[in-house]
Amino acid sequence: MRGRTNAGLLVGGTLVGLVVLAALVSFFWTPHDPTLVDAARKLREPGGGYLLGADKFGRDTLSQLMVGARTTLYVGIVAVGIAALVGTPLGLAAGMTPRGWLSELIMRVNDLVFAFPALLLAVMLGAVYGAGTLTAMIAIGVATVPAFARVARAATLQVMVTDYILAARAAGRRRTAIAVRHVLPNIGSVLIVQASVSFAIAILAEAALSFLGFGTRPPTPSWGRMLQESQELLFSTPRLALWPGLAIAVAVLGFNLLGDGLRDHLDPKLSRIRGGEER
Amino acid sequence: MTLYLVKRLGVLLASTAAAAVVVFAFMALLPGDPAEIALGVNATPEAVAELRSQFGTDRAPVVQFLDWAGGLAQGDFGTSYVTGAPIGPQIGDRLGVTAVLVLGGMVLALLIAVPLGTFAAVHHRNLLGAAISVASQLGIAIPAFLAGILLVFVFAVQAQALPSGGYVPIAENPAEWLRGLVLPWLSLGLVQGAVLTRYVRSAVLDVMREDYLRTARAKGRGATGALWRHGLRNASIPVVTVLGLQLATLLIGAVVVERVFVIPGLGDLLLNGVAQRDLLLVQGVVMVLVAAVLLINFVVDVAYRLLDPRLR
Amino acid sequence: MSALLTVEGLSVGADSVELVHDLSFTIGPGERVGLIGESGSGKSLTALSLMGLLPEGVVASGTARLGGRDLVGVQEARVKRLRGSELSMVFQEPMTALNPLMRVGAQVAEVMTLHGRSRQDARQRAVELLARVRLPEPAEIARAYPHQLSGGQRQRVMLAIALANEPRLLICDEPTTALDVTVQKQMLELIAEVAPALLFITHDLAVVASVCERVLVMYGGRVVESGPVREVFTHPRHRYTEGLLAASRLTPRGTRLPTISGSVPAAGRFPSGCVFRNRCPHATPACETAPALTGDGHAFACWHPAG
Repeated sequence: MRGRTNAGLLVGGTLVGLVVLAALVSFFWTPHDPTLVDAARKLREPGGGYLLGADKFGRDTLSQLMVGARTTLYVGIVAVGIAALVGTPLGLAAGMTPRGWLSELIMRVNDLVFAFPALLLAVMLGAVYGAGTLTAMIAIGVATVPAFARVARAATLQVMVTDYILAARAAGRRRTAIAVRHVLPNIGSVLIVQASVSFAIAILAEAALSFLGFGTRPPTPSWGRMLQESQELLFSTPRLALWPGLAIAVAVLGFNLLGDGLRDHLDPKLSRIRGGEER
Repeated sequence: MTLYLVKRLGVLLASTAAAAVVVFAFMALLPGDPAEIALGVNATPEAVAELRSQFGTDRAPVVQFLDWAGGLAQGDFGTSYVTGAPIGPQIGDRLGVTAVLVLGGMVLALLIAVPLGTFAAVHHRNLLGAAISVASQLGIAIPAFLAGILLVFVFAVQAQALPSGGYVPIAENPAEWLRGLVLPWLSLGLVQGAVLTRYVRSAVLDVMREDYLRTARAKGRGATGALWRHGLRNASIPVVTVLGLQLATLLIGAVVVERVFVIPGLGDLLLNGVAQRDLLLVQGVVMVLVAAVLLINFVVDVAYRLLDPRLR
Repeated sequence: MSALLTVEGLSVGADSVELVHDLSFTIGPGERVGLIGESGSGKSLTALSLMGLLPEGVVASGTARLGGRDLVGVQEARVKRLRGSELSMVFQEPMTALNPLMRVGAQVAEVMTLHGRSRQDARQRAVELLARVRLPEPAEIARAYPHQLSGGQRQRVMLAIALANEPRLLICDEPTTALDVTVQKQMLELIAEVAPALLFITHDLAVVASVCERVLVMYGGRVVESGPVREVFTHPRHRYTEGLLAASRLTPRGTRLPTISGSVPAAGRFPSGCVFRNRCPHATPACETAPALTGDGHAFACWHPAG
């Protein structure tokens, strides 16, 4: 059990680290200009300074992948940030007043927002304001709010019945003080796990949106659009689909494993004591 | 139970109505006047005004909303400002295609996830069980449209066994209809199957630790018999919840997969509508998809109660 | 008179840790035997090994025979047939021991259909059994789901399941620990009344005194003392039993509550020789050698016995 926990954290952390590293390096250096169109390099085979080859416009695949990592992380951070900043206080408030009208209202609105998946929100936002990275981020973020609110509420409900909260309430501490000083730190680990899992979902959503043309606009490279552009060349140059596909899978796998690893690591319930007489 | 059903039905209707308000309000924000767009820049103000009153867009937003929502309640989605065709029948045709796609994907996902997840739970201490867990992790990391592209590469490009896209109506040629749907179903089913496998595994694992399973064994059942008779139905309760969420995800996944395989479903209709700025069409399709998600949630909640006597 | 259950040299271990060491005892037909000890003493594992229900990774060795049939070291398919028919068990936690999705009557009937009774017959007999364990309105209880019953009622249902096929031996593992005090007494009386032969596991001395005729005291995976309840409780010989009795006795106000110093070591951390010597006030270097369980009728394993 212990061994596996560490393996998940280690592999997940490594994969995420790889994506982050690629994104960071891309700020200072890429093998080529990722947006440079050059007919002479059209569909250039891998090798000779073009490690992974070039696409139908002659753009270097590796450079695009690196900057694509930046786009992916950027969208993920903003989307998860929106979801956490909006969802956590809502869930906290709903969890601390489980029988009040506020809780009821929050959860009902939550359920309603939940019925609008990121893709539909992005399509609607895109139709009104024009599709782009910003609308994609907002759509994914808003669509992720309910998940955060639910998790925060469930964790808060659990914390609220513990002895130290009861003691704090009995001592007459104000609700907001209890929320910030006692509840929030205790649901922190749950939220971190949720953030990691949401990040993976955000990456999937961003890729799908870019694939459909509702995400990042050209010329900014994004993995989803690279896939979309590669689809027509699947019969002749399948490697163009391979690399962005692999990048998406690595990033999603990394964040999922990281989330699972953190969950096993932070949740004492899961690291059950082995043996012992009473089962 | 009856009281719950009535209450839950009320919630369903109220949230659908609220969703309709949201969708309408959103689209009402859209810059540009449908009448102006339809007639182009050279139209006379009189012609625009006439078309406006024909569309009904000259009325107050509240009136427009009530008109639209009232129509929806009777299955009337209005008439497209762009093509002049009624929207309802279009959505009806496409809905069938998407439903077949989604349900087929779900069935496939269940056929994969239930046996694999149960097996992985029962054998969680050995290599094969661990291998299934790893495989499902990998499956989750691949979005449905990427799975579609990979499948096209393997089965259409390399093996040339199945079409890479296109859709033949079942009435035209049932065999081709089926051949065309195999890869889309697999794209959705494999990925969702991977997600579900993990949930089935953890639900079965939880149930395996339950005291009532030990009771069943104390009655004289073997480990497998106890799991079959007492474990699986208990394990199905958390899985049903996830199933509802996944069905919603699958519906949206279908929108993207339709694009990969050029299948004329709701997703295709929606994206075309956006491209042509067909406001009322987009509004209608979004509404149908949102209502479908709400309906799925309703069905899951009710199924949950039926499965668990503690909630009745 | 030959014994109903004969246990000889029973050991239970996980990985390299021995949790129960070389246990031997018998239970005669109709006899009610208490197995007493703190948590970690190995008493529950002893019971589970007789049932063939040890958790994964925990293995039993030695022999245990119930009316001439082997229980330990036999294929699961063969022990399976004995469980619920020849010997049955009632567990500690009634709240979770029943399947929440199945009606109570069906759960009682199941144990009978499993061992060859017809469905209709079993269903009818299930109601009779529920009446036998003194549940009011048994027909209605049979139609109820577990969550509609109280803890005490659920434990009665478990007892009905255990008795359904007229087993020769009933094992109870702390069956009243999770119940309200008022319910406990009724439950104990019922068990004493209906049990064919009984192996009763508990940490509660008073319970043993009220239900059992003979007692086995376990500590550190060994039986340290055994004998007739009355004799062991009035004249304990092993220092552990002595301490246990002293700790359970009601003390007058103002006197110090006598307790056994220290706490039960974790599995595998018991000292060599006498397992109790690191907590025993009478321990001497002689205790580094393990004492044997000796004595007829009233036996004990101690170099420096009391009294």
